[in-house]
Amino acid sequence: MVASDLVDRVRSLLAEAFELPVDGIPPDLEFGGIKQWDSMGHMEIMLRLEAEFGIELDTELIRQLTSIPEIVAYIEEKEK
Amino acid sequence: MTDTLEITPALPIPEFLVGEVRSKLAYVDETIRKAEVAISGNRITLHLEQAVDAALEAELTAKVQRVVTAMVKGAFKPKVQVLEDYLDRPVLYAEDPNTELLQRGEMHQETNGVYTLGPLVTRLMEYFEAQFLDLADSFGAPPYRFPTLIPAQYLQRVDYFRAFPHSLTFVTHLREDLDVIDSFSQHAACDEHGLNTAPDSFSKIQALLSPAVCYHLYFALADKPLPGGKLAATSVGNCFRYESSNLVSLERLWNFTMREVIFVGPKEYVLDNRETARNRMRDVFERIGLAYRVESANDPFFIGEFRKQAAFQSAFQLKYEIRARLPFKDSTLAVGSYNYHQDFFGRSLNITLEDGSPAHTGCVAFGLERMAYAFLAQFGFDVEQWPAEVRQAVKK
Repeated sequence: MVASDLVDRVRSLLAEAFELPVDGIPPDLEFGGIKQWDSMGHMEIMLRLEAEFGIELDTELIRQLTSIPEIVAYIEEKEK
Repeated sequence: MTDTLEITPALPIPEFLVGEVRSKLAYVDETIRKAEVAISGNRITLHLEQAVDAALEAELTAKVQRVVTAMVKGAFKPKVQVLEDYLDRPVLYAEDPNTELLQRGEMHQETNGVYTLGPLVTRLMEYFEAQFLDLADSFGAPPYRFPTLIPAQYLQRVDYFRAFPHSLTFVTHLREDLDVIDSFSQHAACDEHGLNTAPDSFSKIQALLSPAVCYHLYFALADKPLPGGKLAATSVGNCFRYESSNLVSLERLWNFTMREVIFVGPKEYVLDNRETARNRMRDVFERIGLAYRVESANDPFFIGEFRKQAAFQSAFQLKYEIRARLPFKDSTLAVGSYNYHQDFFGRSLNITLEDGSPAHTGCVAFGLERMAYAFLAQFGFDVEQWPAEVRQAVKK
């Protein structure tokens, strides 16, 4: 998958989780950047990432994956 | 008909969730007297108050499977972080302190999870209280007094009902109705389950017994800028957490005493002070010779909230528990915790910093009964053998 496609896929995932238009999710968005991305919003994203990409996250990754670029980089690495 | 029910969980329960699932099973049904989960995670045993027929058995099984599925499916495995480990410090005592506490009249049960305590335990609690007050002083944290009751609206505003509904303790009174009050005065009587009064005699719930100390401070600071931009405070109070059949001696009380040192301000202020408090308490515990460990932990969120909230706490290292060794059962007991709430209370209660951003909060909290209990479990009842400063304090 091309990197930009993956960024858009993650943006769409966040948009669905937060019930926002994709345009409201900038590609460099990070935890706390919008009010929906709070602690519970973060966990909602983590659950959706697991389901969408078939990955298993532990608490260390939950702490690390706090921005779209970090999420994208992690998935790219997993899919290599 | 059976009074013991064996259930194979719908999903195997991972070892890191065995204790959490077991504690939640107490709330599944009033017929459950005790619940056990095999460490393998493949078997649940319910001991029931009375024998049940096949229909109730099926109902209980279905409710248990709901709990298991909600907690286990998609559970995030926590990575336990140990900050201090002094569990191997030598201890003087290996017996169950409950036997001695009862024999000496140092512990008298009034009802499930509610105890009166004798002079030795009380003085020990006072000793530990003095250490925690010294800690508060070291931060220049002035004392506050908070009520035992907390308004229902307060707890709703911080989403407490959703996170911890199982442990709430409600306060009510008779409705302002002469007939109701007359009838109560003439007919009120208790059986082994409690008062015989009809539920509609009681008012709507306006207040609860407070489950924590620091909430009162956050509400006092709500909806305005934080004066001075940062604040340290301390308070002690009765706290109430109903834990059903999990209530055990002084280890798990319905009504207990908590001392807190509370920090409100910018993130760095709160996190730095939490760390400083931990280092200062390490010196106190070293002086006493307490065997304990400090490790990451999570609050006992209820079933629906558990998976996400517990994982978040664990991931972001928001809570560390001081777990003292209980030699008689080869186990540990949480006697205190170092907590960071991020800006949750700042946002929920609109406590703002000078730049308009929400304040961060944190607290260090100690259960006084548990501290005394853990000390007795490690040092026994021969006061002459105790560390000198504890001995002198209780002999005053």
